[in-house]
Amino acid sequence: MADVVFPFPFPEHLDLILPEIIMAVMGMVVLLMSVFISKSKQNIVAWTSIVTCVVVAATVLNVAGQDVTTTFYGYFELDAFAAYAKVLMLVATVFAMILSLNYIKDLANIGEYYTLMIFSVLGMMLMVSATNFVVMYLGLELMALSVYVLVAYERDVLRSTEAALKYFILGALSSGMLLYGISFLYGSTGSFMYTEMGPLIASSGEDARLAVLTGMLFVLAGLSFKVSVAPFHMWTPDAYEGAPTPVTAFMSVAPKVAGLVVFMRVLIDVLPGLQEEYTTLLIFLSVLSMAVGNLAAIAQRSIKRMLAYSTIGHVGFMLLGMIAGTSAGYAGILTYMTIYLFMTMGVFGIIIMMRRDDIQGELLDDFAGLSKVRPGYALAMACLMFSMAGIPFLGGFWAKYVVFIAVIEQGHIILATLGVLFSAIGAFYYIRIVKYMYFDEERVAFNFAKELPLQVTVVVSTLIIVAVGLYPEPIMEMCKSAVVGLL
Amino acid sequence: MELNNMLDFPILSLAIFLPTFGALIIWLFIKNDNAVRWAALLTSVATFIVTLPLIFMFDTSTADMQFEEFHPWIEAFNVNYHLGIDGISMPFIVLTGLLIIICIASAWKCIQTRVKEYMLSFLILETTLIGVFSALDVMLFYFFWEALLIPMYLMIGVWGGKNRIYATVKFFLYTLAGSVLMLVAVLAMYFEAGHTFSMLDLMDYPFNFQWQFWIFLAFFIAFAVKVPMWPVHTWLPDAHTEAPTAGSVILAGILLKMGAYGYLRFSLPMLPDASQYFAPMMIGLSLVAIVYISLVAMMQRDMKRLIAYSSIAHMGFVTLGTFVFTVQALEGAVLGMISHGFIAAALFLCVGVMYDRLHTREIGDYGGVVNQMPIFAAVMLFFSMANIALPGSSAFIGEIMVLLGTFAADPVHLSVSAKWIAIAATISVVLSACYTLWMYKRVIMGDVIKDTVRSMGEMSKREFALFVPLILLTLWVGFYPVPVLDLLHASAAHLVEQATTTKLDAAAALIEHSTALSAAAN
Repeated sequence: MADVVFPFPFPEHLDLILPEIIMAVMGMVVLLMSVFISKSKQNIVAWTSIVTCVVVAATVLNVAGQDVTTTFYGYFELDAFAAYAKVLMLVATVFAMILSLNYIKDLANIGEYYTLMIFSVLGMMLMVSATNFVVMYLGLELMALSVYVLVAYERDVLRSTEAALKYFILGALSSGMLLYGISFLYGSTGSFMYTEMGPLIASSGEDARLAVLTGMLFVLAGLSFKVSVAPFHMWTPDAYEGAPTPVTAFMSVAPKVAGLVVFMRVLIDVLPGLQEEYTTLLIFLSVLSMAVGNLAAIAQRSIKRMLAYSTIGHVGFMLLGMIAGTSAGYAGILTYMTIYLFMTMGVFGIIIMMRRDDIQGELLDDFAGLSKVRPGYALAMACLMFSMAGIPFLGGFWAKYVVFIAVIEQGHIILATLGVLFSAIGAFYYIRIVKYMYFDEERVAFNFAKELPLQVTVVVSTLIIVAVGLYPEPIMEMCKSAVVGLL
Repeated sequence: MELNNMLDFPILSLAIFLPTFGALIIWLFIKNDNAVRWAALLTSVATFIVTLPLIFMFDTSTADMQFEEFHPWIEAFNVNYHLGIDGISMPFIVLTGLLIIICIASAWKCIQTRVKEYMLSFLILETTLIGVFSALDVMLFYFFWEALLIPMYLMIGVWGGKNRIYATVKFFLYTLAGSVLMLVAVLAMYFEAGHTFSMLDLMDYPFNFQWQFWIFLAFFIAFAVKVPMWPVHTWLPDAHTEAPTAGSVILAGILLKMGAYGYLRFSLPMLPDASQYFAPMMIGLSLVAIVYISLVAMMQRDMKRLIAYSSIAHMGFVTLGTFVFTVQALEGAVLGMISHGFIAAALFLCVGVMYDRLHTREIGDYGGVVNQMPIFAAVMLFFSMANIALPGSSAFIGEIMVLLGTFAADPVHLSVSAKWIAIAATISVVLSACYTLWMYKRVIMGDVIKDTVRSMGEMSKREFALFVPLILLTLWVGFYPVPVLDLLHASAAHLVEQATTTKLDAAAALIEHSTALSAAAN
């Protein structure tokens, strides 16, 4: 009997992809569990998903840091950078799942909800580990398709379906742009591998220049859509507002982390030869995002829409780290995202808690007088808002600090000045929430949800933000070591 | 690193964190309003007592930093928890300790809602204020400087007057917008000076003129908003008017001094050449503040607004004294700030005493108060006179020193003759008499016309007790300022020397050196 001949040798170091394998298996297990477990015990499904994420995060930490970082013939890479991003996304997912516990209970098919979350995280994990445009694109679509469905999860609510449809159409458009750009780059280099494309693009002659630049433009535009950078941000406020609140919390952190990590990888590995060109482009995108995010947020009356614009602004600040283009800048982005994760989860925890009967605390007015009824949560919210505004002794200050110092190191002083001025303008709408909570009288009676998971989320996030504000060194060090070897 | 700390005890840290510690205890364990008041008072008194050794053990013979503490904080960016004081910062720390006690005691009766939050705001404010004045690391300074906005924002917004929200948001955004520019400047300096945030290193580093020029402008905006200097002063009357009495006291007594302190700690020693270059502009703006704002003050109908404008005018004297670069004027400026801390605080307390009775700050609603409250009228007369800088009051010493120092200033640095500057500034002495005495006449003197005034009762013992330390200090410094001047002298002289020694030669030498190095490397 002849030996079976594989066209390729069996891939080695498969343990690097173990976290993804566990995630994929558990996604299906969770789906099946929800079918077999009676309706009253569906919480088991939720907790299984949460435990899965925790276990997978632990696995990531366990298998990362080996000498060998790639598997599947170099198509998959688990370096410190990817490992950090994965842990970050998994932590965000755990938070989002905890926020979902009671929120989603009333909706049908809990199992599908958690399965979709798990699969979207799986997609993100593939994205950040991809060393190749095809793998990256597959991960991205897995993530995006799952998130579209999650946004539409309250399918009887018009707003939710409308948001999902908008998100889907614009998302599909942006995927198209991304693919279009990739095809240009492929056409000029004949490869999909980041590291092979990089030198070829850098050394491409004048005749290929137009194709390469067009490719770069479309790839960056497609990615900008995913991380909601202005002027590609149009879908963000609608999708944020329409999605169930825990999904909003989820999609304002996890996909952003994945998108930004891919963004950084593409800049570092694929486009190092075009640094001058893409820096100009990024400066434009960054300033526009800071402006749109911080100015448009002022006009919002819904807190979820306001937070959507706030995300746009924050991503604009994060782009500063890429403009710097140094390891300090990339570490700064990771630091920013880490701190942003906890701020966002804390804020959404409070918003979900404010749900009363059918109406949830969605308008800014709903916060009026909160400090008298719920002084503890008002204090937490105030801390988180001051943190978002970047006022010290709170974590958000250091988040801005790390990206500003990185960009100033590269001599972009005017850009940094614009950035701090926009952050001062942005402070207005954050402190306006504090104004509602502390200076105004209560308008509608509060019916604050007393749910332990939410309370824990809020308290833990706030404490972390305060602790990071007082002693940011550990997080900065972690992020610094995560980008070692990246450049 | 050699630390200069005679006590060998982290006394500054204790002063910084004792209020926060007290605030935590109050927040977690104390429920009853009255107990909260006593606990807050106890904490503030304890903090004040902790700051006293700073005076008594202060070495007046040196301009070096004293009571230093040093711990690495964020090693990745070389940010350190570095504290230390000299003769310029020390008085403000002690003054903060004193005024916070008065603030807490003054709120005993008039704050009845959310007493706990009120006391917590003040204690946390105290932490940030002492932190600002004792930080020797720029990032640490900025950390406290910005953190201060949070308690202040809440204080004006929660316990303020009718238009409080407008006032507090304006205050917050003005000061934030100013100070973020300082952050950019500080980060730029960090790289230029070789990765250091240490104020002492930055004072020694030879920045070339280009650098000094831009950094000076960034600092200027940050500090000018805080002082406040014309034309970015407009937040102050609003904030003062709407703030609760104690908020105005601390705002006038300490917060305004932070801006001037910034000039003394950053602009003059770190950027001497730019300071010289911009001195005419700074002096011009100071004169505008002194003369124009005094005229504006005269036309106010609201007592608190009037005193707020008067504060701006008095701070004009301080910035004038800062930018003529003579030891005498500089000492006068610092002394003037200390004295203004007593007098403006006391005047706001006076308004507070009346406001607690009639709930109006309009000058027109009073008249003939002396008939109902003779003791109060005497106290207010005392501080009105002190506000005019009558000889015998602490303000007189400060202003006369600034004027004399200005007369003696070296005209090389200035575009007009120093005499004319001094003469222009002297006008304010007349103007301050006009607005202060006119207000006093309309509020206190005359017959009682309004029925509401008839209902006003004399000050309680508690209210009177608030004024006693301020009266004594105003008189003491007014009659015998030598001990205070001794504390200042070494540091002020050193500062003037720093501010008048150009860094440009060293900067040129540095550039030459580095070009030579790179040439040698090639």
